[in-house]
Amino acid sequence: MENTPSKIIIIDDNPDYLFTMKTFLTRNGFKVETASDGNSGFELIRKHQPDLVMLDVMMENTYSGFEVCRLMRNDPDLKTTPIIGISGMAEELGVKFDIYEDKEYFSPDAYFDKPVDKEALLAKIKDLIS
Amino acid sequence: MNYSNDSELIDLTFKSIIAALPCYIMIQDLDFKILFANQTFKNDFGDDITGKSCYAVLKGSRHQCNVCPVRDSFKDKGVHIVEETIHLSDIKAIEMIAFSAPLFDAVGNVNACIKLLVNIGTIKDSQREFVTLGQSIALLSHDIKNILEGLKGGAYVVEEGMKDHDTQLANRGWEIVSKNISEITRITQNILYSAKKQKPAFKDTKPWVIARQAGQLFSEKASSMGIQMLMELNPNVPAMKADPAGISRMLGNLIWNALQACQKDKIKTKHVLVVRVDFYDNYNFMFEVEDNAQGMEKEIMENLFKEFFTSKGDSGNGLGLMVVDRIVNHHNGKVEVLSKKGAGSLFRVIFRRQDQVMEMD
Repeated sequence: MENTPSKIIIIDDNPDYLFTMKTFLTRNGFKVETASDGNSGFELIRKHQPDLVMLDVMMENTYSGFEVCRLMRNDPDLKTTPIIGISGMAEELGVKFDIYEDKEYFSPDAYFDKPVDKEALLAKIKDLIS
Repeated sequence: MNYSNDSELIDLTFKSIIAALPCYIMIQDLDFKILFANQTFKNDFGDDITGKSCYAVLKGSRHQCNVCPVRDSFKDKGVHIVEETIHLSDIKAIEMIAFSAPLFDAVGNVNACIKLLVNIGTIKDSQREFVTLGQSIALLSHDIKNILEGLKGGAYVVEEGMKDHDTQLANRGWEIVSKNISEITRITQNILYSAKKQKPAFKDTKPWVIARQAGQLFSEKASSMGIQMLMELNPNVPAMKADPAGISRMLGNLIWNALQACQKDKIKTKHVLVVRVDFYDNYNFMFEVEDNAQGMEKEIMENLFKEFFTSKGDSGNGLGLMVVDRIVNHHNGKVEVLSKKGAGSLFRVIFRRQDQVMEMD
């Protein structure tokens, strides 16, 4: 059982980002599923019960990352699943998410700004899954 | 001219200076009625303003202003400075800076205040330009950051593909790299166009030919995005005097926006983009770019051509439509936008027919 790869679901509306991240994480030993919007992403999470979810904060379709995070935190089966928030929200545009100050709206276990440092992300994923 | 004494000369000199000062000067009583107005003020608002209230003259209002430096000067006998917008006529509003100061009588009471208003419209315009410049740099940096993220990601996938001799993976990575190179090229071309000061070189240009070329540049892209692109080009529309590079850029930006709108629309499964050239009426012809994506809200439509306005979140900086607007203006054309939420959008650019202009001349 030790060799069973951990399952990660990535939800992001940028298909290139999904592909790149999936390639990176798969090559680092994870089993990865992807979804390009919050709605189908949440269905995927319920179906696969992943070990970790990577969530784009600002998706423009039905559910934003905030909404998916809220749904997960209110679901007894998913509320402890680690979530990593990823965002292109930009400090240069005066938008900055603060994981502590804004936790009422969005409560991921970790948060990364794009461009994401892949090695730091990998370390955080391993930390959260262990 | 002979003056009976020095004080008469001084009096006249002061009166001339106050009359000629390029600002409004008035003295108001405790009811904010104008007791004195200098000539510049009277020139713009009429000779009969004495005795009227300041707020009626400057704002066309029957009520005192919420913020009034004169009221504050009466209250604390101090000098006050505020920015005010006044109405020179029904349509023209001017931004002014207003200074007020109490006028003391012999025993130190204040029964009147002097108010001076200076037009700061050009300064405010410069301020707004700086704000726009700041926003534009921020938006462009944000865009470039996203492109770099895409380039880095694509390069990573290419490297992994090469490492494993996986051509398919390397090709997919290269697609990502290539897409981001196109994006940075497009942004750079728009920046260069928007920064260009010189007048474009006009030459005889066939609208349907240039529309076909612009469309062809995007046909492969549209097909890779699963979007059907149709060209409805009427070759009978006569040649126009135009900057072909500019018109091509204009169409390219409109097509690119339409493609992105289709890509963003996850509700419809089939998307169609139409590029059209046809007669508009007897005197004008038009270019149209139409999509069947989700259309726009009224608020978005109203702000579309404001500099660097974008509704595209991460994927746009608003520069594209600003460049469209500039190119259309260079060619004395006009843009119409028709959009219905849920149904799609149509951008129509109308130009005067060259043959009709010559006939009219």
